Amino acid sequence: MKSLDLTKSALSNTLRSKLRTALTVIAIVIGAFTLTLTSGLGAGINQTVDRIFGGFGVDDVIYVVPQMEADAQEQDGPPEYDPEAGVEPEDGFGTGMLSAADVEIVEGLDHVVGVDTEVAAQLEYLQAPDGGQYQAQFDFALNDVLAEFAAGGAPDRGEMQITLPEDWLEIFGTEDPEDALGQTLIVAAPNAVGQTTEFEAEVVGVTQGTLAGVGFTPIPSVALAEEVADINAEGYEGQMPEAYIMAAAEIENLEANEDAVKDALAAEGLWGLTVEDQIAMFEAVIDAITWILSGFALIALLAASFGIVNTLLMSVQERTREIGLMKALGMSRARVFTLFSMEAVVIGIMGSVVGIGLGLIAGFVTNGLLTADDGPLGGFAELSLFGLDPFAIGGIFLLIIIIAFLAGTLPAARAAKKDPIEALRYE
Amino acid sequence: MSTPVLETENLVKVYGRGPAQFHALKGLSFQIHRGESVAIVGKSGSGKSTLMHLLALLDEPTSGVVALDGRPVSKLKPKTVSALRNETFGFVFQQFFLNPNQSVLENVTLPLKIAGVSRSERDQRGMHALEQLEMADKAKNRATDLSGGQKQRVCIARALINNPDVLFADEPTGNLDSATSETVENILLNLQRDHGITLVVVTHDEDLASKCQRRLIMQDGEIVEEQTGVRVSSSRKAPITGGQGRPAPRRRRLLSFGRAGAR
Repeated sequence: MKSLDLTKSALSNTLRSKLRTALTVIAIVIGAFTLTLTSGLGAGINQTVDRIFGGFGVDDVIYVVPQMEADAQEQDGPPEYDPEAGVEPEDGFGTGMLSAADVEIVEGLDHVVGVDTEVAAQLEYLQAPDGGQYQAQFDFALNDVLAEFAAGGAPDRGEMQITLPEDWLEIFGTEDPEDALGQTLIVAAPNAVGQTTEFEAEVVGVTQGTLAGVGFTPIPSVALAEEVADINAEGYEGQMPEAYIMAAAEIENLEANEDAVKDALAAEGLWGLTVEDQIAMFEAVIDAITWILSGFALIALLAASFGIVNTLLMSVQERTREIGLMKALGMSRARVFTLFSMEAVVIGIMGSVVGIGLGLIAGFVTNGLLTADDGPLGGFAELSLFGLDPFAIGGIFLLIIIIAFLAGTLPAARAAKKDPIEALRYE
Repeated sequence: MSTPVLETENLVKVYGRGPAQFHALKGLSFQIHRGESVAIVGKSGSGKSTLMHLLALLDEPTSGVVALDGRPVSKLKPKTVSALRNETFGFVFQQFFLNPNQSVLENVTLPLKIAGVSRSERDQRGMHALEQLEMADKAKNRATDLSGGQKQRVCIARALINNPDVLFADEPTGNLDSATSETVENILLNLQRDHGITLVVVTHDEDLASKCQRRLIMQDGEIVEEQTGVRVSSSRKAPITGGQGRPAPRRRRLLSFGRAGAR
């Protein structure tokens, strides 16, 4: 029998008992639908991440944080107090902070051309031009490169400048982000003994929140954050340990020297991350979640594959005499096997086409509703929850066909094995 | 004489094992020549269906040889045997075995479809075969919409479509009334006479058997008698097993194609 005739026969055979085929197909549709949604969700979020981070030109920076102690997370009960083991003021290690010595080390490394540091800065309040005072916490100054701007841009790191999130526009009584640019805020910071010092800062940008969590709070310039930290330290008695949350080391020719710098940092107990590394970490989390969700969809498909086995076994049983006749008339085992596994594949194709189609429609419609400007997730800049990944869709399609084929092998082998005489005698 | 188209030597078929063993065929040796019409006659359980299955390469003997055109087939691969069946044999069954979901034409062209012949050639040859049997006007009908005689004619068309050397007919008139039976008998014998097709008929319809050139009478797995020559026979009246030549519809014993009879 020719392949074309086999295919046609398989198709018309599956359409013979329509209800049974339809029910089996529905099971496949459910699996395909779920897989399409979960993979689309992963693709959508990762595309969002790529889009947001893709535009940044600051590719020559490595962010440095202290390395976590490997066993810091897992402890059996609280550790006993050891009076001898006090934390040295100069040593940021283990506190999650970088010490001044660490920063010096970073500055001294090969290929490092400059270091910006991130200090912990505590605010008392921010005061609007009209005198209203607002509670606030700064975002990291070094996050300025990750922010998405509705107006203006990142603060100049050396100037007393600041950006505000969109929902702060009301302190100026406006809805237009442009109106906020150039306004002056009063920044008030407490010192160690509770006195408050005020100074002025210029608003240079209005940020939108992003998925990376940047832009939901005011971002100070580096200089402004240091100023606040200096005020915080005033009145402190004794030696105030200099501590930094992280450092941004500017590297010459990052592409060539990235690994060398990272290795050098690791040797000093420090951990270097580029923006790309951070994106990769974020995407790894998204991927992990996608895979877990897809795992459930795969379980649904597994159940559906038993539906195919069942349907085809019934079909083989019902068509015993037909199989006997075809074999008597000279159809080879291999062809009989192919005919029945093709029927399984046809069921798989029908299920996956319908399921993937419905999944795409549902995904894009839901995405449109959720992320519309007035939708529940409209506040995130450029967020898309569902994306089309042609390779993933192709992969799902192939996967389902392979599963269907495998499910069809058992009934097909049964059909192929039938003895024509016995089969023709079957009542 | 030329090489026999079918030949057997010491053909033995045993079913089962140990005490339950059943010797369906006990060492048969005979020849069937090209263009001959041979009837294998016997009661249920005599081994005639088993013999036909072995001759038609649907089953393998326990021991002994079946040779097609002088070539032993027992050593051939299953795939080759399937192809041989497809190319050299035609089959007519008592129960027709027509696919109810397909048209008459599709049923008739099934052997060509299995052989891998293109659609257009299939349909053309199918129509030709149907015309020969005066069934061309039913080509588009569902196979289930036909009468018994029409169904059997469709079966014969299907058996003829690959221009077979040998036509096997297993109780071809078993499900037909007497008038239709006669038509079908005549069609089969005309094919043998006019087209030189070798005809092997398994039957216990004496009427049909008597029209064949040779009759192998079987009993308990052995050929007990061999008759030659077309008998200008006695009976338009009665089949071997029938009553007193009742008029139509005449039914043969229904268990003839059944389990016991076939082995």
